[in-house]
Amino acid sequence: MTISVAPGPDTREGIRTGTAESTDSLAAPDIPWNLVIWNDPVNLMSYVSYVFQSYFGYPESKANKLMMEVHKKGRSIVAHGSKEQVERHAVAMHGFGLWATVEKASGAAGTSGRGKGKRG
Amino acid sequence: MAKAFKYGLKGITGFLEPTERELLRSLIDDVISMLEPAEREGQDPLAALIGLDMDVAEPTDRAVKRLLPNVVKDDGAASLEFRQLTERSLRETKIGALRAAALDLDKDEIVLTPEGAKHWSMALNDVRLVLAERLDIRDEEDAEHVHRMQDWSQAEDVESYLALVYNFTTWLQESLVQAMLQSMETRR
Repeated sequence: MTISVAPGPDTREGIRTGTAESTDSLAAPDIPWNLVIWNDPVNLMSYVSYVFQSYFGYPESKANKLMMEVHKKGRSIVAHGSKEQVERHAVAMHGFGLWATVEKASGAAGTSGRGKGKRG
Repeated sequence: MAKAFKYGLKGITGFLEPTERELLRSLIDDVISMLEPAEREGQDPLAALIGLDMDVAEPTDRAVKRLLPNVVKDDGAASLEFRQLTERSLRETKIGALRAAALDLDKDEIVLTPEGAKHWSMALNDVRLVLAERLDIRDEEDAEHVHRMQDWSQAEDVESYLALVYNFTTWLQESLVQAMLQSMETRR
């Protein structure tokens, strides 16, 4: 991902909502597929965060945390679900131009990006 | 000179000079032509109608492949099966956003609804992905190298011209996304 090149507004402290907690508690431990977002040098960090907020309904703090994980670690699991659910998310991510893949969750499912993908 | 997008009473607004609008229009048209599915002889019209494409193949052009990536890493067969079911409608989604953005280029002042802003951000992103492939941006270092090209008087070859165009679209998208994040916050 690439960093901002335009000076952005400095008033972006998001209003915290209960969304993060409620989506987290929905994640059943036996849900078997992950949606993975991969880093690339083109997509803007702000845009990736916007997509996570607007599509999944994640609060700004969670969206930024996942975005930073993509940026620093090269990939992040941003949603779990059934195969059909994560495939639907993947098509939506491709529509936005993000590089998304689906994978079967391994035994120790991702330690981050908990929370079933949910439309906001 | 273009003005950065901003969020205000009228919604998200921006301003582009005629030459900048012409440039964006031609970039958008290029991406649309890359995404338009080829009409093949003997194609099953019913399958096409419901979005299936059993003859689809993994794109050979790197830029097209970046726009329409494989859905399963290191599994061409599973990815191809997924393409048969989804690629046609993904192409249509992208073309829809690109056409919507092109329609807004008829006037200097651009006033965007939330849906219009979303289409613009998607269109600018796809334009940038294609330009980045043409510029061979593979990692953050390449991106940084391209980003250093800021002076139009230095544009003496195709590559430096493309780099400047890329930087212009990056700047425009960044200002748009900042305005969109601001408007989301206001509506929360």
